[in-house]
Amino acid sequence: MLSFENISHGLHNWLSAIMSETPVVLIELTLVALAAITLFAALGLILVYMERKVAAVIQIRKGPNRVGPMGIFQTAADTLKLVMKENFMPDSVDKFLYKLAPFVVMITAMLILAPMPFAQGFQIWNINIGVFYVTAISSISVIGVLMAGWASNNKYSLLGAMRSGAQIVSYELSAGFAILSIVALTGSLNLNDIILSQQDGWWIFKGHIPVWIAFVIFMIAVTAETNRAPFDMAEAESELTGGFHTEYGGMRFALFFLAEYINIFIVCGIGATLFFGGWMPFHIGHWEGFNHVMDYIPSSIWFFGKTFFLIFVIMWFRWTFPRLRIDQLLNLEWKYLLPISLFNLLLITVIAIKGWHF
Amino acid sequence: MEIREIIFYIIAAFVLGSGIMAVSTRKIFRSAIWLLSTLIGIAALYFWMDLEFIAAVQIVVYVGGIVVLIIFSIFLTHKSGDEMPKIAIKRKLPAAFAVLFAFAFTANLLLHNSFALSATKSFDLSVDRIGTLMLTTGDGGYILPFEAVSMLLLAAMVGCIVIAMKIKKEEQ
Amino acid sequence: MIRFLKNYFTEVFQAVKSLFLGMKLTGYYFTHPKEIITQEYPENRLTLNLSERFRGEVVMTHDEQNEHACTGCSACELACPNGTIKIINKFEINAEGKKKKAIDAFVYHLELCTMCNLCIQACPTDAIKMAQTFEHSVFNRNMLTKQLNLAGSKLREGVE
Repeated sequence: MLSFENISHGLHNWLSAIMSETPVVLIELTLVALAAITLFAALGLILVYMERKVAAVIQIRKGPNRVGPMGIFQTAADTLKLVMKENFMPDSVDKFLYKLAPFVVMITAMLILAPMPFAQGFQIWNINIGVFYVTAISSISVIGVLMAGWASNNKYSLLGAMRSGAQIVSYELSAGFAILSIVALTGSLNLNDIILSQQDGWWIFKGHIPVWIAFVIFMIAVTAETNRAPFDMAEAESELTGGFHTEYGGMRFALFFLAEYINIFIVCGIGATLFFGGWMPFHIGHWEGFNHVMDYIPSSIWFFGKTFFLIFVIMWFRWTFPRLRIDQLLNLEWKYLLPISLFNLLLITVIAIKGWHF
Repeated sequence: MEIREIIFYIIAAFVLGSGIMAVSTRKIFRSAIWLLSTLIGIAALYFWMDLEFIAAVQIVVYVGGIVVLIIFSIFLTHKSGDEMPKIAIKRKLPAAFAVLFAFAFTANLLLHNSFALSATKSFDLSVDRIGTLMLTTGDGGYILPFEAVSMLLLAAMVGCIVIAMKIKKEEQ
Repeated sequence: MIRFLKNYFTEVFQAVKSLFLGMKLTGYYFTHPKEIITQEYPENRLTLNLSERFRGEVVMTHDEQNEHACTGCSACELACPNGTIKIINKFEINAEGKKKKAIDAFVYHLELCTMCNLCIQACPTDAIKMAQTFEHSVFNRNMLTKQLNLAGSKLREGVE
């Protein structure tokens, strides 16, 4: 059967058969890098199109409908425009940091992709501390935003960067607690182990109400961490004219824009893995027949389906809720999300120890 | 030379180079960014040694915590965008001496001790084992410091929440 | 303390409830594409569905006998904030030998009009109204200056 696992294994075996170990590793690294970049480009195109369509339908509009059937080539045309644009740089910026910042954001997004299990046995790096690695690396991306805000030499950019810093640092806590609650239930940080522990049902169904609370907190926290509306304080077009990327244009701006969508994909992928079983098909307890039928749907489809559903939910948030003020934002975190997630984690730990989950 | 060694030297050069840049640049924010890349380089060294947990902790604590804090204090400082003044020669000399002394001291230590390579992997650093060690009361257990630190952090977090809640009461 | 906790949880509950309410509405729109009100204009030019209150330009209504209801009172001219309307009057001598005021030309400068509807509200005889045409682009600016009363038209009997 054709699956991602078989393809990658077949490729590895074929390469190993015709050359020695070092070139095989080098070629595979190149292939992985190419695949990651292709995935990024494709995701950028698809997610921007999806966002515009979702926004349009929610606001009773049609959305892009001119370039190609249903406007599907709209984002490709936009990208072409951004590539052709002059890479304008204001005069009094810190040139080195100004040029570096978009790449920091982008590279961080690429690094987080590494432990993501896209399908059964198809993963770039099966790292032992998967979830923790993701949490750790995602804290670097705030540096890119801070760097961009500072280097632009613009007070709006600086304000946007500071807001984004305060926001990401505080929301990392509740996102971390939500992740920890699933880690407490599975007893492993490895993303594959977490998926395998959901063989007889996803955690969202097995873990009673506390897991639901953890899931809601996770969704709110990651929406804030990816700087998306209603938490887009860092950009806030209406008050900061674009925040940390005010002074960016052309392809550099496009990199920030792309990184935002990649980050959404990644956090939704992590959310799908933790709460909805990643590539694990929909299984119910020990109903062998039902589970077997579900297994016929390829694992990659399960993963991408769940991830895109969560992405849709985040887009749904964006086009429903108005933007929070910065003090409301910090109140929400420190007065509501953090205490609730602390107690929730305690509750889940009790459930995990007593084995009360299904 | 093996590829493994080449990678080690690349990482080491990166760490040293950005360390030198961190102390020699005259823009305070760039200095913080160079410090950041030094710390990331050290995390890369841990990854190179297969100590993934330590590497991730290094990134969480230093990159996500301390450097962000430093950058924030730079942002809030008045006129932090200006170039710092050139350092006078009489302040450079003692610094150079200190560096030379430290270098000589380390080199001395390195040359007078032989580092035997053990064939077996000397440490098993799976997360399970770290967790078990953290909560062991017996030999090699770290229960006391672990609990002390966790109480401290919990107290800090509860303190934050209490402060956040208190302001709201006054508003009403 | 108990009251505080009660307030706290009602607050959280209310917040979550109101958020779900909002998401329910947008979710309804998302699942009902029939609600979309966008008009794909050049394609559906013949079947265009404009809302009733859409205002395109000022026109004067004429009936079959080529008669209109404008007495030339120039209330619209006074009401217009931009000087869009200019009424040129003439004096006709009617059957009884009396001089009577009537309009010679109702001049309307479309290029100055903001479709504010004040002239229509000011008109005592409902002689003018807003039309829904909107394809106004021309190559010469002079073509935007229009005379609204048709050639040879006259005041309808009985309108004072």
